[in-house]
Parts: sequence; structure tokens; C-alpha cells
Amino acid sequence: MAARVLQQCVRSLGRPSLRLCPVNLALRAAVAPAVPVHRPFSSAADSRRTRWLGQSRISSVGLLCRQYGDLPPLTLETIKDRVLYVLKLYDKINPEKLQVTSHFMKDLGLDSLDQVEIIMAMEDEFGFEIPDAEAEKLMTPEEIVQYIADKKDVYE
Amino acid sequence: MASTAAARTAAGAAKVVKPILSRDLDEAKRRVRELYRAWYREVPNTVSLFQLDITTRQGRDKVREMFDRNRHVTDPRVIDMLVIKGKMELQETIHIWKQKTHVMRYFHENEEPRATDFLSKFYKGHDP
Repeated sequence: MAARVLQQCVRSLGRPSLRLCPVNLALRAAVAPAVPVHRPFSSAADSRRTRWLGQSRISSVGLLCRQYGDLPPLTLETIKDRVLYVLKLYDKINPEKLQVTSHFMKDLGLDSLDQVEIIMAMEDEFGFEIPDAEAEKLMTPEEIVQYIADKKDVYE
Repeated sequence: MASTAAARTAAGAAKVVKPILSRDLDEAKRRVRELYRAWYREVPNTVSLFQLDITTRQGRDKVREMFDRNRHVTDPRVIDMLVIKGKMELQETIHIWKQKTHVMRYFHENEEPRATDFLSKFYKGHDP
């Protein structure tokens, strides 16, 4: 909503120099969930704002096209890669000894506060809170991957 | 009185006392972990708010050191008391009721280390 108002304001500012191409508009009306098409840079040399704001003009057709942003969908493989990447960055873990099934306390020699730090790093990486009652049970990277997959509804 | 006496005899010199916050060791450890999390997340904000001359890593190492000092404690009541004191410190740090000097006191920058061998203690005037 605000974006459209902004577009119209900017368009009214740059109207003498901006040339609307009706070809693009017809193309967009044909495609129902409209994918944003980057118009070739119009001859309006002055305002770059109008270039990237004016790319989704819709008013004359009356067709609503909404664009949402989201992350790529999670899979078990990507979760495992990200978990292992974060663990390799942690300086108290030896990256050569790290396996998917290596226990933090028994194999890698960490203690409970280190495990808390690891779980916090996972929270930062995946963007959701892990309560302490469940966090204290996650002792291997495998379990962390399983837990995240449970919480995020990722399954094969 | 009779119940505690019975429990004492039953458990073999393990007293049943009124808990402060947590009923057993696991709950106390959970509180410790929560406190550690809160401190861990607070350290970067502290370093920037107080304009300290330490890095975030040094601050976090210092937090870990303070927690490691009490690693040997097993009594849940003592652990609870330490957690309460830690929470008070955290509250004072978050709300900037402390000042930079109070936070830097943890780092013992300008204190001389205490003498351990006899001659140094003698020169300083401590009893051996």
C-alpha cells in the first residue's frame, strides 16, 4: 500500500522525463501472479528512484500483483550443512574431529556452558528461540538437526 | 520436626531444607544456564553502552571466568543465591545503574597481585 502511494508520488515528480511502456503492462496483465520484470533502463537519466520504483506500475490495468519475500525452503541437507558450518566456526571445536554424530561432552570435550553457547549460535543462525528445557538435551549435531527439522516442519 | 528427623535417618545424614528457588540440582542448573544466556547476550550491548575498551570476546571470557569460579558448588540453595546475585548484577548492568568503573572492576586492571612466597609477604608486611 505505502509502496504504491510512494510510486505514484515519485511518478508525478518524474512524469515529464519518465516514459511508460505499455508493452510491459500488457505482459504483466497476462501473467496472473506477476513476476517482477526489470524494465530496461528508460531514457529518464535523472531519477534512479523512478526506475526501480516504477517497475511495478499497475494502476491503469487495475490488476493487483503482490510480491512477497521469503527465504528458500529448508531441507534436511541444508539444515545439516548450516549446523556444521556454525560448529566449525566455533573456536573451541576442532573442525577435523567434528562429525554429525560427535557428542559435545564426550567426544569433543566441551562443557555445559559451551553447549549453551552452541545452542545460542543455532538460535541466531535459524532465527527462532530454543527453550532451555529442550536445549539441554541436544548433545550432538544430529539431534540439533532433528530438533530444527521438527520445529520447522521439514521432512523427507 | 519428626518428618525431618525421619528423612534424615532415612537418607543417611541428608537434610531436607526449605529451598530458595529450585527444588533440585537440575532446576538450579537450568537457572544457571538461563543466567549465562542472558549475560552472553548482554555483553555486546554493555561494551557499546559503557564505551568499554575491551572486545566482546574478552567480556564473554570474563563472564565465563566468573561462572567457572563457582563450578564446584553442588548445593541447590547456594546455587540459587549465586544466581540471584548474578541477576542483580545483570539488572544493574542493563539499566546502566552501574558506571564504567564498576564494570571494569571485574578486570582487576590496576590491582597488584597478592604475594605468595614468604619473602614478598614479609616485605609487604603480611603475616606468613
